[in-house]
Amino acid sequence: MPTIDCGGRQLDVNEEGFLLHPEQWDEELATFLARAEEGLETLTDEHWAVIRFIRSHFEQTHGAPMVRAVCKATGLPLKRVYELFPSGPARGACKLAGLPKPDGCV
Amino acid sequence: MADNETLDAKIEALTAEELARGLDIFRQKLGAAGALWLQTCVHCGLCAESCHYFLTDHEPQSIPAHKLEQVASAFRGRYTLVGRLAPALTGARPFDRDLVRAWVDAAFGRCSTCGRCSLNCTTGVNVPAVMRAARATLTEMGLIPADLQQVVTTALETGNNMAITREDWLDTVQWIEEETQGAVNDPAARIPVDKHGANILFTVNPREPKFFPLGMQASATVFYAAGEDWTVASEGWDLTNYGLFSGNNAEGGAIARNLLDSMDRLGCRTLVIGECGHGFASARWEAAEWLRERPGFRIISFLELMEDYFRQGRLKVDPSRLTDRVTLHDPCNTVRQGGISEPQRSILRRCVTDFVEMTPNRAENFCCGGGGGQLAMAQYRDRRLQAGGVKAEQIRATGARVVVAPCHNCIDQLMELNREYKLGVVIKTVAEIVADALVLPTITPPAGEDHDVTS
Repeated sequence: MPTIDCGGRQLDVNEEGFLLHPEQWDEELATFLARAEEGLETLTDEHWAVIRFIRSHFEQTHGAPMVRAVCKATGLPLKRVYELFPSGPARGACKLAGLPKPDGCV
Repeated sequence: MADNETLDAKIEALTAEELARGLDIFRQKLGAAGALWLQTCVHCGLCAESCHYFLTDHEPQSIPAHKLEQVASAFRGRYTLVGRLAPALTGARPFDRDLVRAWVDAAFGRCSTCGRCSLNCTTGVNVPAVMRAARATLTEMGLIPADLQQVVTTALETGNNMAITREDWLDTVQWIEEETQGAVNDPAARIPVDKHGANILFTVNPREPKFFPLGMQASATVFYAAGEDWTVASEGWDLTNYGLFSGNNAEGGAIARNLLDSMDRLGCRTLVIGECGHGFASARWEAAEWLRERPGFRIISFLELMEDYFRQGRLKVDPSRLTDRVTLHDPCNTVRQGGISEPQRSILRRCVTDFVEMTPNRAENFCCGGGGGQLAMAQYRDRRLQAGGVKAEQIRATGARVVVAPCHNCIDQLMELNREYKLGVVIKTVAEIVADALVLPTITPPAGEDHDVTS
């Protein structure tokens, strides 16, 4: 089983780098995943607004939010969301927020 | 537990009865034509270099004839006379745990059911059909990768493969309608929902409303410009059908039924499948077979419809807005398996100034590597990206800056290839290219505005 080493913590991930145990997520891990998976050296306030919204949505519903909801909650234009996360809302933002991989063509 | 470990444990736990039953299931799934194909391979080896897996990993297990042989050897041992009497002479093997593992590896792990090997087969063996029968068998034995089955299950349970609620779907439709109105500067631009008797019922891949709605906006813009009488459905709007990939015809049929029910409910004239390869192949070609029922209406691809609009003079475009070199990816299920190869080319030639083909192209195209449900099966990620290397080099060789892909599944794989192989391209649907090129009386768009959402 693949694992990642985040500051000495060994965490199980699937072959695509999504957490197998989403409850292990914290903000330090988001910073680690941003660097390792998305090539983002630093996370800006805009990144955090998206990540924190997706995370809180997940904790309430166990699912990923619509990108519509992300834009509404953060006030960010849609195109800005794509700029912030090069792999897109699913493989990028949702992964950094510690969600399991969404189903479907993503 | 990771998916492959779960599968391994399930295979270890198989009883002799379950294994015997598995082969019976396979015989049912195969059919007469399939049984013939299993005995038709002459081992000429031409298929090897037709397969994007073999071309990138050079492993004998990736040669289509080898994959076919895994499946055929079990069949021969049980269902052919010589195979039963003298298995060694025919290469027959018992359907045991090792062979089941080889089936899983061949049918799910090394095949995107793209069909390129069949096109290059001297005896015309329909490899995707045999691999699908093997998948169907494994699925019925409970040996399908869990994440692939989950996509099917979600579609069956919620009506779409991303579990999007009706409220969320309608909210996004309304949002995209407003965005479209702003973009075309006309409040009359609509995305009608549940319009009874509309000429066109338009369907989308859930990936669009969930994460990439600009593709929907582009489609809505094209409908607006063409003055089409169209609608989307509040229920039964998802064009995807992962039953094609799991091999389960009953579940594939039940998912296809959602679209047919929408047509019946709304009384539209033509069902239009948005830009999605497997969705088109499922609805247009497979659904009737799975349901044993011929739909009483036309089912066409959005590509065909857009080409019709151009032929009828309903769309006016300015190709000079996109002067970057543009190339086109041929989704296997749209082109080789689906028979739609020219409309997208005709459209692109009208909408851009520098369109170049990949080599090879059309029916001889290479799979992007993400087909056949590969994108859904995390355990094969490394192989998927490696096998996609063929497509990556095809793209690089064109020198194109823009890759057009009329398939949302391919687009996701191409986005990953773009990063993995550092291609530096932007990836768009055909509708996005058309929408960007449209000359509309209501607006004077700034030249060179980039609507890209996928780079």
